[in-house]
Amino acid sequence: MKEIDARGLSCPAPVVQTRIAIEEGYLKAIRVVVDNEAAQQNVKRFLESQGFDVALEKVDDHYSVTGQCDKVTAKQPSEASEAEARQTKIMIMIATDRIGYGDDELGLKLMVSFIRTLKEMGPDLWRLVFVNNGVNLAIQSSEVLVDLKELEDSGLQILVCGTCLTHFHLLEQKRVGETTNMLDIVTAMQLADKVINI
Amino acid sequence: MDSLDDAGVYKISDDLAIIQTVDFFTPIVDDPYWFGQIAAANALSDIYAMGGTPKTAMNLVGFPLKQMDISILRQILQGGLDKMKEAGVMLVGGHSVEDSELKYGLSVTGFVHPDRILTKKNLRAGDRLVLTKPLGTGVINTAIKGGVASVKVIDKITRLMATLNRDVAEVMKQYSVHACTDITGFGLLGHLAEMVDGSGLGVVLDSKKIPILSEAKDYAAMGMLPAGANKNKIFRESMVEFYSSVNPLIRDLLFDPQTSGGLLICIDRDDTDELVEELIQKGCDASAVIGEVVSAPQEKIVVNS
Repeated sequence: MKEIDARGLSCPAPVVQTRIAIEEGYLKAIRVVVDNEAAQQNVKRFLESQGFDVALEKVDDHYSVTGQCDKVTAKQPSEASEAEARQTKIMIMIATDRIGYGDDELGLKLMVSFIRTLKEMGPDLWRLVFVNNGVNLAIQSSEVLVDLKELEDSGLQILVCGTCLTHFHLLEQKRVGETTNMLDIVTAMQLADKVINI
Repeated sequence: MDSLDDAGVYKISDDLAIIQTVDFFTPIVDDPYWFGQIAAANALSDIYAMGGTPKTAMNLVGFPLKQMDISILRQILQGGLDKMKEAGVMLVGGHSVEDSELKYGLSVTGFVHPDRILTKKNLRAGDRLVLTKPLGTGVINTAIKGGVASVKVIDKITRLMATLNRDVAEVMKQYSVHACTDITGFGLLGHLAEMVDGSGLGVVLDSKKIPILSEAKDYAAMGMLPAGANKNKIFRESMVEFYSSVNPLIRDLLFDPQTSGGLLICIDRDDTDELVEELIQKGCDASAVIGEVVSAPQEKIVVNS
């Protein structure tokens, strides 16, 4: 059984430590010791939300939470994700609203054409990420908004950089995709089999 | 004035009193510009809660010069200044010190007519209680620290916390409001307990009518309640009676410490519907009647349904 001593830590640190331990280890049993009842309640709620059966105990100033999980948790690879894993995962990162340098008008046209042709990649196209000037393609006035929505409806995950939207004051105008952060982008890069930068 | 009031009041003449308040804290969101806005909105809130109009402000800054680039401070101050402009407040000065931890806030002075000062006292049986912003910012701020909050939620509560209570304060001047406070660190029940304490009256709340951010319920169920919520609960739970049907998560959320929360308005029963309607029209769309003042049980808050 995994044991965590989270005494002396204030919330949410005990829950965060518990979460990290579970995510790392596909655990079936875990025991977390904290030094107050509120932290004990928080850890209990977290473990329950992750499908654990929980028992509480108090000895002197030590409040412990023991969690058991016999079921197959969502964290373990399911058949669906195995099927997904057999496919090539292509991530395309678009950091501009036009392709190449030279003539801007031509560059814009090429980008529209590029987005409209992307569906030919089929299910291998796994994630589309817009950063910097690229976020202009995901807003109300974008010429390819309809095409991006179609791709999203067909199951493609579209991520749009939140920092960039905020920078250009476009947060309110975003019409497609999920607002994302650098951690999500870096994680996606690591999981992808191929990353294409435009 | 009472020791528990939101701010200090000094009467200058028969038709003018000044309200003074000071508030500052450490960052709650990563974006310095938004942090500046939130800190300013939070500091101005005490003036609005007392029925006043904020007029002048001074910046208070603690900044770790050795660890942080000065451009961060510029963005914070810009956020604060923009919020003051929105509120029609003039920045007249400030003071900064080098500090190991970043802190920002304001000292604010406002005007009020001495007969129109709102405090936490003066509750009357039959009055209704109106809350103007949803609860849950404490839980979501904890979820941000815990790394589980989504960017979408962070954006949502950042805007919520940066929203001034000015419109609410303007609207409520037209109605028979008997008492008011703003909801901050002690949570809804903590601040309500200050109103009830010593009033000789009690309050009944309908937990189903209290606006709570749905994401806050989700994160609370994942164990993201801040330590402050528990402190608030221990401090005031002897005054609160929960019906057994009230979900334990909701009980905890009613003690959740808020940053730049809404106003809690105690208003004449006959004016209530009109006030809420006008608040919703003005864009304070979470505004809701959450309970009423009763003659018994005295000095208790009963939370039902």
